[in-house]
Amino acid sequence: MTRKIERSVQELYRDDPERADALAFGRRGALKGAALAAMGGAVGAAIPFAGTMPGGTLPALFSRPAAAQGTGPEILRMEGKGPLILQGERPLNAETPETLLDEPVTSARNMFIRNNGGLPDVPADPRGWKLTVDGEVNTKLELTVAELESRFPVITRQLQLECGGNGRSFYAPQTRGNQWGNGAISNGEWTGVRLRDVLQAAGLKPSAVATGHYGADPHLSGEPGRPAIARGMRIAKAMEEDTLLAFRLNGEAIPHLHGAPLRLVTPGWPGSLSQKWLNRIWVRDKPHDGPGMGGTSYRVPVRPIVPGSSNNGADFADLESMPVRSILSSHAHGSRLAAGTRALDLRGAAWAGDLTVQAVHASVDFGATWTEMQVAAPANAHAWQRWTGRVSLPADGYYEVWYRATDSQGRMQPHLPANWNPQGYGGNAISRAAILVG
Amino acid sequence: MRLRLTALAWLAILVPTLALGQGASQADEALALQQRAEEETVLTEGEGRSEVFGYCTACHNTALIRRSRFTRPQWDGLMDWMTERHGMNPLEGEFRDTIVDYLARHYGPAQAPARGRNPFLN
Ligand code: HEC
Repeated sequence: MTRKIERSVQELYRDDPERADALAFGRRGALKGAALAAMGGAVGAAIPFAGTMPGGTLPALFSRPAAAQGTGPEILRMEGKGPLILQGERPLNAETPETLLDEPVTSARNMFIRNNGGLPDVPADPRGWKLTVDGEVNTKLELTVAELESRFPVITRQLQLECGGNGRSFYAPQTRGNQWGNGAISNGEWTGVRLRDVLQAAGLKPSAVATGHYGADPHLSGEPGRPAIARGMRIAKAMEEDTLLAFRLNGEAIPHLHGAPLRLVTPGWPGSLSQKWLNRIWVRDKPHDGPGMGGTSYRVPVRPIVPGSSNNGADFADLESMPVRSILSSHAHGSRLAAGTRALDLRGAAWAGDLTVQAVHASVDFGATWTEMQVAAPANAHAWQRWTGRVSLPADGYYEVWYRATDSQGRMQPHLPANWNPQGYGGNAISRAAILVG
Repeated sequence: MRLRLTALAWLAILVPTLALGQGASQADEALALQQRAEEETVLTEGEGRSEVFGYCTACHNTALIRRSRFTRPQWDGLMDWMTERHGMNPLEGEFRDTIVDYLARHYGPAQAPARGRNPFLN
């Protein structure tokens, strides 16, 4: 077993030494030459549970996705934002490291950023920002943010907001889109009015079966009138009590970057349904067909396809409720702990789209044994759940903390991301954080 | 000619907005970040690099290219996707080959599959 690990490590260094170095506890460039050659042996020999490591498994230390960028991740530095992992500048996308998600309610600072287009102008009069509701309704509505707030019940909920492609980087072969780890998730406290109340005020016609959403962000090409993205959902989700037209985040105005002055929050479903800078809801008599709908966009195979094959997505189904997933917020991947450390107090969050999480387990022996964690109830439906628990370590050495959630229907995070698809949706494999004791 | 828009359009989009309230400086920083200039040399050196840099940074920057590890057919398919879904001018003939060849050569799958070839493909 140990020999197998050595070989994997050496292969990794041979194939991509820069990537391997970048991941070795932040000591970039330190492991070269003889030290590099010794690494395989060193890691192999120091793995207390090497005997239970599944054959051919590359230590998590070397297989984490930050490396997908080739030269290691670049960190976002921006007024009012934490040190997020910059995925790209244009469009601007940034992921939250799991350890910054240690707050029970995600601050605006630590909220991941996903843009499909450019940023719209900051409006001079946010309260006067207009939302149009039209299509299959009895009365077309045009409401300002101020009117929304005064006409409808205002509610506040903690809601998961997760990119549909969260976890994408774990797919092999690589799939298209931002190479997110597990950090395209937030659990902010949103204040707004229910979309359902507004749709009822407009009066849904019997023909109303879906919504289509439009925002003010310009398409990347700059072509006027071309939406950056315009997705839509089944009317049942639009009528759910947690689907909000939000104008405040954590008790304050929503930051411009996050969709002020008005955005949808469609918790538990792909974040692209939480349209930012929202200015129109078009009620449709058929599933919406705007940019970001159809083909392989936000869609997953109904019958599994061969990983790496091409497919036009015609037989795929829209990704709706997001799959169960967990994060570890107490220990960063690559943490080094003092010699003699014999227990870890773990902490994190878990969620499961429209469902809840019934259990979280952690393993430090490559999945041979699992320890049940304590999982708190969600603050409300569609909020994430915090979990805590302790695992013990028999000796100094290299460990991987594997953490796995189970949803309320008994589905667990799988060992590998399942149901490969060209744009990498729905991947929710068990995550692994490398820890070195001593 | 849809591409004609790009340089000018970006200027228009990126002209800093008036500083309004607290969020404005963050928004300005975000706009500046979107606008951050890139040099062609961020892409791997090779035949076709200038063509790729010239043609492919009109809408987005090279981060999307640099993060990608695709096969030639996948890169080729992506060209059509950008035309069909995002209004990119169609790429044809030798120019398309130059671009797709460059991408497949320098941004191809990182490693050979661990256990030999995939029996279900090819
Ligand atoms: C007319 C505008 C436009 C041009 C020109 C353009 N692209 Fe794109 N491209 C887009 C848009 C829009 C996206 C989606 C961005 C997003 O959603 O984050 C995209 C996405 C991508 C992606 C990510 C694929 C994915 O599924 O996320 C890659 C890679 C890419 N483009 C490469 C290229 C290359 C190479 C060229 C030059 C041949 C090019 N682009 C030219 C508009 C364009």
